[in-house]
This record gives sequence, structure tokens and C-alpha cells, in this order.
Amino acid sequence: MFKKQDIFLIIPFLLIAAALLIWFGSKPNSGIAVVEKNGAELYRFDLSQQTSAQEIDVGGSYHVKLLLEPGAISFEHSDCRDQICVRTGKLTKPGQAAVCLPAKISIKIVGKNKDFDGYTG
Amino acid sequence: MMNHPSHLNISPQTHGIAFNGLLAALALVLSAVEMMLPPLPLLPPGAKLGLSNIVTMYAAGAVGLWPALCIAVIKGLFSGITRGFTAMLMSLSGGILSTSVMWLLLHIKSRPFGLIGLGVAGALSHNAAQLFIAALLTTPAVVYYIPWLIIFGILAGILTGLVLRIIMPLLDQLKYNG
Repeated sequence: MFKKQDIFLIIPFLLIAAALLIWFGSKPNSGIAVVEKNGAELYRFDLSQQTSAQEIDVGGSYHVKLLLEPGAISFEHSDCRDQICVRTGKLTKPGQAAVCLPAKISIKIVGKNKDFDGYTG
Repeated sequence: MMNHPSHLNISPQTHGIAFNGLLAALALVLSAVEMMLPPLPLLPPGAKLGLSNIVTMYAAGAVGLWPALCIAVIKGLFSGITRGFTAMLMSLSGGILSTSVMWLLLHIKSRPFGLIGLGVAGALSHNAAQLFIAALLTTPAVVYYIPWLIIFGILAGILTGLVLRIIMPLLDQLKYNG
């Protein structure tokens, strides 16, 4: 059913696709993490400039702690009951967000560059 | 164009025109059916089966380059009517390039590729042309989409080749005996 030449046509393209995926995936994330409390901006971190892990104590009645790492930010600790913010895990890409509703603290990553507006096909 | 005289006693030209019209209609129906399919959750946005490429591929092989290109253009105008100007540009660019590529590959003397290889070549060139237009119309950032377009282009192309294997005898029957 498959001719040998068909396979020879398909395999190089699959390799190119795999190589591109790996290449795009290995690029450092260039997002900016924005931390807001009650809707007002507290901090702004450039994730691509971050070289080591750093803990940020936001404090408040829930003792919220954020973990800032190269290319990622996450809720490390919160005294809230649901722990949704902590379980959201690490944010790495522009557009991702995590919220601790009881503490009214949100973190989100915004892109430095213009990102995709939409797709068509 | 015709190898066998038709039993309806019509001229080969008339038969050819009718057959091309039939193929064009088939391409439009397949496009319309595809538009009704819900987007599959696993596929990235924009990934489509490209069912109507089955017809342009058959036409490139069975009736020649110009009729096949005509079908691609009719398909593009149909997208323009139903889905707007951007969709028309996308459909035209992809359709014209992929039809030409498949025709070229079919006319290499040694016929190196089978139907699956042709389908894959058609799907990949279709995606390449569309990506180029998308990069012009929106932002060059669409290059990040290339790996997915290659992967799903290959899958869609294999499917196109397999389906054409099945329906080719039926279309040939229409072409020669209709």
C-alpha cells in the first residue's frame, strides 16, 4: 500500500517537524510575570532575566509565597483552604494565569512580543 | 480525451465538460461536508482533513492540469462566498499550489510516488502556500505553527491517498462509461 518512495518522502518531513518542535520548545520563555493583589499591580518580573530561584513573600492574611524561577512563576504556599492556586503549578507561557481567590492575589504572564491573534485555515 | 465512445452518443468534448463539472461539484460537496464537521479537540486550530483535495488530486491525474486548476479555483471562489475573503485567499493559494505540485509529480516519467506520497506532497504544499499567505496577512509569528502543519499535513495526505485508492475505480468508471 505504501510505496517505498512514499516513506522516503514522509520521513524527512517528520524529522523536520520534530526538529522544529524541539527547537521552538527550547527557546527561553520571554514572558513578564505580573503579580496583582485586589486588582492592583504589586510586582512585575521579567522571567527571561531571572537566573536563579527566588521566593517572594507577598504576606497578607494567607501568607502567600510565590516561587520565581528562570522562565517560570508559581504559587509556592498559601494558607487558603482550596489550594487551587498552588495546584495550578508553574506558569511558563504568556497567557497563563493562576489566582488565589481568598487572598485576592493573581499572577499572570503577559507576552513581551505580540502573540498570535488568531488562526484561520 | 475519451478512449471509449459514450453510449449516450454525445461528443467527447461534451462528456469532458460534464465530467469536469461533476468533479467540481464533488469538490464543493466535500468542502461543504467538511465545514459541517465539528473541530476535533485534539487537532490544532486550522487543521483540516482536506477532503476536497481528493478530487483535485484525481483531476490532476485523470483530466489534466488546467481542468484540475479550474476545480481548485472554483473551490476557492466557493470558500470566498461561504467563508469570506481571507478563506478565499487561503483556499486559492493552497489549492493552486498543491494541484500544480501533484500534477508535476504525476508527470515525472518514472512515476516515483504512489497515491499516498502524492497525497502527502499535495497536503504539505497546500499547507505551505496557506502558511505563506497567513504570514503575509497576519504576522510572521505563524512560523511556530509549521511543525503542526507538517504533522497533520502528512496525516491528512495519507488519508487522502487511501480514500482516493478506494474511489478511483468509481470515478474512472464515470469518466469512461458515464
